[in-house]
Amino acid sequence: MKRSMMSKFMIGFFCTLLSLPAIAQEDELKDLPGYVEFGDLSSMYGEPKIIINLGGTMLNFVGMMSSQESPETSELISKLKGVRVMIYETDENAGAAKSQFVEVKGKLKSSGWEPIVQVNEEDEQVMIYMKMDGENMEGLTVMVIDEEEAVFVNVIGQLNPAELGKVMETLDVDMDLDLD
Amino acid sequence: MKDYDHKLDGNWEQQINALLDGELGQTDADELKSAATDDRELARAIVEAYQLQQVMAEIKVERAPASLNKRLRAIPREQRPAAGISLFQPRWVMALAAVPLAIIAVSIMQPDTPSEAEIAKARQELAIAFAYLDKAGTITGRGIESTVGNTMADAVTGSVNRAIKLQNETSKEKEA
Repeated sequence: MKRSMMSKFMIGFFCTLLSLPAIAQEDELKDLPGYVEFGDLSSMYGEPKIIINLGGTMLNFVGMMSSQESPETSELISKLKGVRVMIYETDENAGAAKSQFVEVKGKLKSSGWEPIVQVNEEDEQVMIYMKMDGENMEGLTVMVIDEEEAVFVNVIGQLNPAELGKVMETLDVDMDLDLD
Repeated sequence: MKDYDHKLDGNWEQQINALLDGELGQTDADELKSAATDDRELARAIVEAYQLQQVMAEIKVERAPASLNKRLRAIPREQRPAAGISLFQPRWVMALAAVPLAIIAVSIMQPDTPSEAEIAKARQELAIAFAYLDKAGTITGRGIESTVGNTMADAVTGSVNRAIKLQNETSKEKEA
């Protein structure tokens, strides 16, 4: 009995220890003004298809790694403090995701985010918000819902979308995202 | 013999021992005394047992030498199973708990250096994030185009990239 309790304690201790880096990275991003809390849709759609949480430290390393092949890419990445992506598969049942959009939209408006572009079509909704602090961009938030998925992207730091194309070439992005 | 002859040998011996140890009840003690009065053999057995007890009490207890004590105390330790190094002993638990704490302390003090594989994975994740940003840009460009026409869409925004750039510039102008 005593041994069993001790085993549970040790397992719990090591699990907590292993999750510390992820918790620390998420906490690091939460303190930044460009951070957006998207909420949790897992009760409706299950675990997200994609979760990305890149903190400033990791982005610095990615930037350094890219510096030789493309100084432009390295410079763009160096201005980023965090990148978060959360994608749920909606399977043609986007109701909950749309409600979440409305909720996040309200939060963004009340915390000083400015709407940039919004597309409201029957089968597709896109919202792009940006947060500025004087001349500096603090964050970019993009939300996309179509028949298949709900996408939440939060870029913390400065990003010039016009440079995205070049950067994607450098990063050798070969994504087959369905845009039809 | 009297009616208590049946208590000979074993039973009387137990009664005598109990009497000498002071554990015999009053009734039994009286019965034993009464029996001893009539039975000389029993009376002699009681007297001999009493004398033996006195002699034993007078024998001095010799203390064992220190070296023998030490060797005797060591026997339980030597008899313990060799595989008795249990990770659940408090000292081992403390030691095991100290290892990750030391790792955390070192990792906090030193800059985080991810492995090459971790950086490559992060690079791939960044590419995915950018791909979705690009997808959003394409959808918004297409949406605007379908609403106001190709030429107008191009003239106004062209794409979300230009729209955001415009927003950036506007903010800068406001500041100026």
